Formats: sequence, structure tokens, C-alpha cells
Amino acid sequence: MAEAVLVGIERAEHFESIDQQREAASLGMWAWLLTELLLFSGLFLIALILRIQHPAAVTLATTHLKFWIGAANTAVLICSSFTMSGAIGLSRLGWQRGMVGCMLATATLGTLFLGLKGFEYYQDYAEHMMRFLGQPYALAADQATRLFIDVYFITTALHGLHLITGVSILLVLTVMAGRPNFLAQHQNRIEIYGLYWHFIDLIWIIVFPVLYVLNR
Amino acid sequence: MSPSDAVMRDPGTARPTIDRPADYLHEEHTLRSWFFSTDHKRIGLLYLASITFFFVLGAIAACLVRLALIVPDGTIFSSDTYNKLFTMHGVIMIWFFLIPSIPATFGNFLLPLMIGAKDVAFPHLNLASFYIFITGALFTLITLVIGGVDTGWTFYAPFSTTFSNTYVIPALIGVIIVGFSSILTGLNFVVTIHKMRCPGMTWFRMPIFVWTLYATSLIFLLATPVITIALILLVMERAFGIGVFDPRLGGDPVLFEHLFWFYSHPAVYIMVLPGMGVITELVAAFSQKKVFGYRFVAYASIALASVTFLVWGHHMFVNGESQLAATVYSLLSFAVAVPSAVKVYNWTATIHKGSIHLDTPMLYAMGYIGLFVLGGLTGLFLATLAIDAHLHDTYFVVAHFHYIMVGGTMLAFLGGLHYWWPKFTGRMYPEAFGRVGAGLIFIGFNVTFFPQFILGYLGMPRRYHVYPPEFQLLNIMSSAGATILAAGYFFPMVYLIWSLWYGKKAPANPWNAKGLEWTTSSPPPTHNFLNTPLVDFEPYGYENKAPEIG
Repeated sequence: MAEAVLVGIERAEHFESIDQQREAASLGMWAWLLTELLLFSGLFLIALILRIQHPAAVTLATTHLKFWIGAANTAVLICSSFTMSGAIGLSRLGWQRGMVGCMLATATLGTLFLGLKGFEYYQDYAEHMMRFLGQPYALAADQATRLFIDVYFITTALHGLHLITGVSILLVLTVMAGRPNFLAQHQNRIEIYGLYWHFIDLIWIIVFPVLYVLNR
Repeated sequence: MSPSDAVMRDPGTARPTIDRPADYLHEEHTLRSWFFSTDHKRIGLLYLASITFFFVLGAIAACLVRLALIVPDGTIFSSDTYNKLFTMHGVIMIWFFLIPSIPATFGNFLLPLMIGAKDVAFPHLNLASFYIFITGALFTLITLVIGGVDTGWTFYAPFSTTFSNTYVIPALIGVIIVGFSSILTGLNFVVTIHKMRCPGMTWFRMPIFVWTLYATSLIFLLATPVITIALILLVMERAFGIGVFDPRLGGDPVLFEHLFWFYSHPAVYIMVLPGMGVITELVAAFSQKKVFGYRFVAYASIALASVTFLVWGHHMFVNGESQLAATVYSLLSFAVAVPSAVKVYNWTATIHKGSIHLDTPMLYAMGYIGLFVLGGLTGLFLATLAIDAHLHDTYFVVAHFHYIMVGGTMLAFLGGLHYWWPKFTGRMYPEAFGRVGAGLIFIGFNVTFFPQFILGYLGMPRRYHVYPPEFQLLNIMSSAGATILAAGYFFPMVYLIWSLWYGKKAPANPWNAKGLEWTTSSPPPTHNFLNTPLVDFEPYGYENKAPEIG
């Protein structure tokens, strides 16, 4: 087993107690996640309304999305959430090396997701789905199809942007977390970051059915 | 948590101000200590300086708009220039003045003081949020310098995405960035109110201003991301041709209006609610009376913040909304009047039989109540479907929202600024000048905007600068009022700055007001309270004594 490390957080000057600080940090992250959810919800709303108003056109459009890449990515992200939970659990136990390992595994899975997503975009490009790049457009030219495909690109790109940010922060955090005494001073940063990572995962778990799966 | 001393227990007793410890203003004087301060009080003042700058810019644009409207044939400015002027006025006043005005300045400064905390929950985030604001502001300033934008503050598609030949993208980026500043401020306030209250400060012992900040912060958190995504989609469409709103690209223009107003109607309450909180503080302090129906006023704030999310459709009554939807939105819009009226009746009942002191802040508060009633009631006209078909997009609408935004929020801002000025700066403002300024603003405001109700009713559309000659008299009246109003704004700017050096030194509690912020010295020490306060008293514990005679 690992050497016993004191696990906890250092109190910042303006807090009265450690508990207050801990609760404030996690409430802050939850509030941020709420705004992120609303950021995406506008896009989900557009996709769902399109599905209700133009079911046939949208169903046809979804057949051009790469279902299996999306499904594989869903599995990748669920695994990454699992490794992130591992990092949180190990941080509570004070096993710093195991925690850093889990965090690196999470970052690797996140990168794998981005790689697969990039490959999917490449296939979309090859199939002439990217009208905004000035390509000839290969799908049906009606409004609903075009809007749905545009919403697909915007939603997945915005999610990808969150993942790029997430992996970057995770790598910085991993470097910091490898330092001695990190767990004694800032253990809750791992938990707070974990909330964000799970949330990116959760957003994908909404994106995938809304865009790829429904009415397939 | 040491038990507090007698002074802390009774906020009415002023702390002696001689031999006080270094306060937050005098502790350090370097530029660094200001621009990288994480002290919520200094950040509040940084915001105050920046939004005042933007207010002046927006006001100059407004004066030019009023200048252009003196003649009916539109010869003073070209149509393009006129479009850019009113857009500049709207964008700057809404996003860079009104939305951050009370929450980011007074909220930052006062929220921790009012709930007995040393700072907001995330002081570094607070500073970051200020610099995000400044970044967004820079984009907007760059837009102005390179040539401006002519879409109106509403950025309606497809004009903004396809047809406008002005610098829409930098303007949009500026507004998107400022949105993140609002979100982070709101997040900070929500967490601060939940987690940083001092011992004994229960929810129902919080001042009403804190309640309204809470309601406002919820709107920041829930509504701002929706405008962020809507504007991102606009940028995508304009820059890359990813069609979401332009029908030629496969989009739907009414979709933009829905997404836009889902934020921008609640945004009205971002601007109004904190003002209501300020007015409640002023009315109680200058009537020396407990707030009438404290709980109802608190609940009304939350009710307004909730109902406001359900009425965005009333901006689209004439844009092809179904009759059923329009009727529902109309009814819900009427429902907004209920919590608003609760507030107005409670203010009036608070003043009733109080021992009223007509100092400058109270003059602003009285002005606010009157103008808010007028602005609110004309809102009901517009919520009525049949009347809206006649008044939609006319000067009636312009007058209505200026009565709420200027007559409401701006007066509350100025009233609060005078009320807390001693706390911010440690100096008193000159009372006589203050009263004259308040009078000028009230008169100037009404002369400017009342004729616009009539103009709108007679059919003058908004955003046009060429109009039939028979409207000229009312337009000249309105422009004349604008000069009085401008003079009125200029007044406090001069004497408040003067008072920084020459004003009387302020005692800790010049108004004999209740509330934890008045238990600290003026200006407060760096960490707000020497000992953590312990609250075992109800809010607004004014003794309801008979007015002194003679």
C-alpha cells in the first residue's frame, strides 16, 4: 500500500471553516454546470423541435451520422468517467501515485474520444456533408436537413471544445497533483474537477441519443 | 467565532471613527493593489469606474440620437450614422451599463458586508470576472472605433447575419464575453449567499437587497448561457455560413427571436430587481421604519425571477405566433404585475407614518416609485394583445422601457450611490447639490420620455429618423428634456468626484440606518469586520416611534 498521506484542504483566509470552504467550492461547480447545461439546452431544443416538426427529413439525415463511431465514443467517455471516479476515490484514500495514474488514464481516454471524433469529422468531410466549407452538398437540400446537420456540427464541436478544455485542465491538474503535499492541501480540487469531467460525459450522453439514436 | 461585543449586536450604535485601523481605501495605494486586488470592495469600485465610463459613452450616443430627431427630414445625420448611433446607445447601455450596474458595483461592495462575510466565496474568480468584463468591453470599443454596428441592440437575424455591412462579429464577441462575466458574478453571489452568511444571519434576516441579488444571480446563471449560445450561432452563421437563422441557409429567423428573448426578457429583471432591492433599503432607512411585509417583498423577488422566464413570447405577438401561444404569454405577462405591485404597495406602506427624511437618496426613491408605476402600467398595455398590435415597435415601447430602465434602474442606482457613498468613500456628498441633481433628473426624464408615449400612440415607429412633420413638436420637447436630463447626470458626476477630496468626513452610520454594513467604519476595514458579527436581531429593526415635532 501507499505511504500514509494526510488528506485534506488548506483553509483560505476568508472562510470560517474547512467545511464551509469545501461546500462553497462544490456548490460553485454545480452552479457552473447548471449554466453549461443551459448553454447546450438551446441546441438540444432546436434538434428536438426539428425532430417533431420534420420527422421524415431528420430521420433521413441521421442515417448519415456515423452511429458506430458515436457509440464507441460513448463507451470511451463512460470508461473515462470510471477512471475519474477512481482518481477521486484514491485521492480520498491518499494514494497519490494511483490517483495520478487514474488521471492520466482519464486524459488518454479523453484524447481518444477527440481522435475518434476527428476521424468522424473527416468522414463527414469526405461524404460532402460540410456545406459551410464551400463543398458541394451531398444530402437532401431541404431546410430541415440542412438545419439538423448544422446543429449536429455546432453541438458536437461545442462539446469537443469542452473536452479539449477539460483534457488541458486535467493535464495541468495532474502535474500539480503529482507534487508532494498536494493531497494535504488541495484534495478537493480533484473532486471538483471530477464533477466537471462527469458533466462533459453526461452532456455527450444527451447529445448521442438526441442526434444519433432517436428514430434511427 | 468569538461572541460579538455590544456594538455588533446593535447596528444602530455608531462605531467611534477616530483612531480607526487602516481601512480598505488607505491600506495600500499602489496601482497594483487596485488592479489586482481580490478585495470585493475594491473590485466593486473598479466596476463603478468602468460602468460610469460606459454610461457616459452611451449617454453621448443618446444625445446624438435626440439631436438627430429634432428635424423631421433626417438631415442632421445620414441614415447609416443614425442606425449606428442608436445601436451604440442600446448595446452600451444594456450590456455595459445597466446589466452590471447595481449587481457588479453595489452587489460586490455590499453583499459580503450585508451578510457579515469577509469576502465573496471566490475572490479570485471575482477579479477574473472583472477582467472578462474589460475584455468584452474592449471588443465593443474596437467595434466603435473601426466603424460601429447598425443592427440595433437586439441583433435580429437574418439582418445581422447576412445583410448588415457593419462590424457585427466583434460586437457579438464583446457581448458574448461580457455574458461570461455576468455568469461568474452570479455564480459567486449564489455561493456567497448560500455559504458565507455569518452566524445567526438566517435567510429571513437578510436585507431585501440581498434577496434581490439572489434572484438576479439566479437569472444570470439560468438565462445568460442561452444568449451566449444564440449569439455564438449568429457568429457561426455570419462567419462560416452555418445556417441556423437565415431561411436561405436552412434556418429559422423566429428561432433567433425565441432564443434571444429567452435571455433578454429575464435580463430586464437583471436590471430591475437589484434596483428594487436598493429602493427597499432606501425607503426603510429614510422612513426609519421596518419594511412592511418583509417576507412578501422577499418572496416577490423570487416570484418575479421565476415568472420572468415564462413571458419571452410577448416580444413576438405580431411575428407569427399562434393565437393560443400569444394568449398564454399575454396572461403570464399580466401575472408579472402581481409581484411588482406587491413591491410598490409595500414600499408605500413602509413610508406611511414613517419619520420621513427627504435626503437625496429618498428623493430618488420617491421618484423611482412613481416612474416605476407608470412604466409598469404601460407594460400592461403592451401585454394586451389587441393594443400591442397597434403599439408594437412604436415610441410607446421606447417610452415604456425607458420608464423602467431609466426611471427605475437608473434612479435606484443613483439613489443607492448617494446612500452608500459615505460607506464607499468615507466622505459625505453635498446635500443641497444632491437634491438639485435629483430634481433635475426627475424633471428632465419626464420631459424626455412622456412625449414619447404620445408619439408612439400616434404611430411614430421606433428606430426611424425621418418622420412626418406633425410629430416635430413632441420630438423637440423630448430632445429638450434630454438636455435637462444630461445636465442632471452631469451634476452628481461633478459633485461626487469633488466630495472625494473636499466632502465632509462621513461617520460610520450617517443615516442612522440598520444593517450590518453600517456597523463597520466608513470606509470599512480591509476584512470588513474586526470580529465576525453575530446576528441575533431581525432585519430593519427600526423603532417605530412617532415623528419628532418642531
